[in-house]
Amino acid sequence: MKKLLIFAGLFSIILSSCGVSKTKYSAYKGMYDEKPHTILIMPPINNSTNVDAKEYFHTTLYEPLVEAGYYAIPPFLSMDILKRESAYDSELFLNGALSQFGEVFGADLAIFTIIHSWSKSQLWANVTVEVEYIIRSTKTNEVVFRRKGKVIYKTNSGASGLIGVAATVAKTALTDYVAVARACNDYVLKDLPDGKYGLLHGQDKDKGAGLENFKVTIN
Amino acid sequence: MRKYLLAAVAVFTLASCARQKPLYDWHDYDRSSYFYQKDTDKESIKDLLDTYHDMIKEQKEGTRGVIPPGVYADYGFLLLQEGDIKKGSQMLERELKLYPESKIFIDRILKMIEE
Repeated sequence: MKKLLIFAGLFSIILSSCGVSKTKYSAYKGMYDEKPHTILIMPPINNSTNVDAKEYFHTTLYEPLVEAGYYAIPPFLSMDILKRESAYDSELFLNGALSQFGEVFGADLAIFTIIHSWSKSQLWANVTVEVEYIIRSTKTNEVVFRRKGKVIYKTNSGASGLIGVAATVAKTALTDYVAVARACNDYVLKDLPDGKYGLLHGQDKDKGAGLENFKVTIN
Repeated sequence: MRKYLLAAVAVFTLASCARQKPLYDWHDYDRSSYFYQKDTDKESIKDLLDTYHDMIKEQKEGTRGVIPPGVYADYGFLLLQEGDIKKGSQMLERELKLYPESKIFIDRILKMIEE
């Protein structure tokens, strides 16, 4: 009995180490029931004080969505069309009807990203981002995927103390911030059920889903 | 025996946390797409066009071995914006052939070219 309890305890530690709480099917039922394939990237909503955060996130959403096996509407082409159609302000559509995106792009889904905060610790070279991802069906308007959390990204984990500060400030270039956004997107979107082109399409229902509300440190 | 079983469960569980090998070879897409969106100047446009060219030419890292969805389309769209109507249209048609799910918006752009 004692050994069994130890075994169960270790198993739960392993599961919690990747933030697993329930199966992907129970967490993202709408994704499995609707079988969506095409996804439109909506321009991120930036509520943080970092004016460039929107661009960091926008350019790094496409790749993880495609890697998850979906057809992501090409980002530059869709951005241009959204501007022409006066639909570039995502806040207007966050809670509204999305059928027009199905008609214009053939999109089954629309992904909204809300950057709640972006802060940088000079001393420890950490960037902390609070971000939320909401994926809604353009057919039913239902939310089929939602995750919100705090990501602590260590841009230069080797730098510490006063000597490290100057080196870190100089080293934290724009491309590092792109890497921060990319890490956030990768971490959250790897939890998506595999799309049509994914290796596990239709076979990942019983796999563990990440927590809807999470906190993670990425090196 | 129990020790080995526990180790096997741990390996299996941790492996299930991560996605497997990438489906596509992205070359320098992250960097060049960011600078294109940020600057949209001659240098960043050329850089992004070169990246698309490389992605189309070589897909050796990805498990699918085909061009990622949307790459022909964005490449074609950028070429159209640069005035290369012929090659731009060809790329859009390649997207349509490889990914028929792009039909709705590709048709829309091809129609815009004709007008």
